Amino acid sequence: MLAPGVAAAQGTSGPALDYAVTCQGCHRADGAGTPGTVPALAGSVGKFLRVPGGREFLVRVPGVAQAPLDDTALAAVLNWMLDRFGRDDVPKGVVPYTAEEVNQLRRRPLTDVAGARRQLVEALERTK
Amino acid sequence: MTDERRWLDRLCERATRALARRTSRRSFLTRLGTALAGTAALPLLPMARAATESRPPVPDDAALHGEVGDPKSCSYWRHCAIDGFLCSCCGGSQNACPPGTEMSPLTWIGTCRNPGDGKDYIISYNDCCGQSLCMRCRCTRTEGERPLYLTMKNNDLLWCFGTQSRAVNCSVAVVLGVATRT
Repeated sequence: MLAPGVAAAQGTSGPALDYAVTCQGCHRADGAGTPGTVPALAGSVGKFLRVPGGREFLVRVPGVAQAPLDDTALAAVLNWMLDRFGRDDVPKGVVPYTAEEVNQLRRRPLTDVAGARRQLVEALERTK
Repeated sequence: MTDERRWLDRLCERATRALARRTSRRSFLTRLGTALAGTAALPLLPMARAATESRPPVPDDAALHGEVGDPKSCSYWRHCAIDGFLCSCCGGSQNACPPGTEMSPLTWIGTCRNPGDGKDYIISYNDCCGQSLCMRCRCTRTEGERPLYLTMKNNDLLWCFGTQSRAVNCSVAVVLGVATRT
């Protein structure tokens, strides 16, 4: 297998670097995830903003809430991720995450992640 | 003509006798022996030989500047956080799994500094899965590693997720790009 995109010429920095080092190992560079093991971000993450509780869910899931990033960097990664993997799905008029909002939400990590996700997906399906 | 030959003879005779007076045949043999032994021993002296040694070819990484070190060594710069058997010792390379194994899509990612150019590179340590443990070139390095409860930053785990087999064979160290802090 060839090295996937040896981008030696231009560097990776900011939220793209934080995504690469903190999230990409499981969610993959293209946000595709691994079916049955890791949920996809691409074509999926933006849809959560269409239903009540979805915006909070994206910060309270364990991988995000416990990410080794400070609030400012985490908010930047979330906004970068929504733009990169959810541009077509994010409803119009959504405001970006702020460090303060992330700070409050990550203090309340989800205890029943699968249950919370199921409820949101059901709510999404009802909006169709 | 005769006079000239005598003059030349005299010069040669004088030089030869002077040499014979100053030196002995044994001293010549001693010096010759020293020179021969010295010449033979010269390659044993410590010298910078790394530059002339042939390294395993690294075709995928031609874009990297200052690639230094031995990819089969634990101390190789890309292995700053590797935990497992190096695929370059197991029939693969630092970018490719050995035949008969499958690269895990889930991976531990960190950064390592390349001493060749002083830059930090984003490195992906993917496990190659589907064969039993390779048992060659075992490395345990822990730069940037975090305790097990931060699973995405712990390299003690087997990372054969999303693969057909959970059996881990070896680990690669793929360069994903350059990390620049702004």
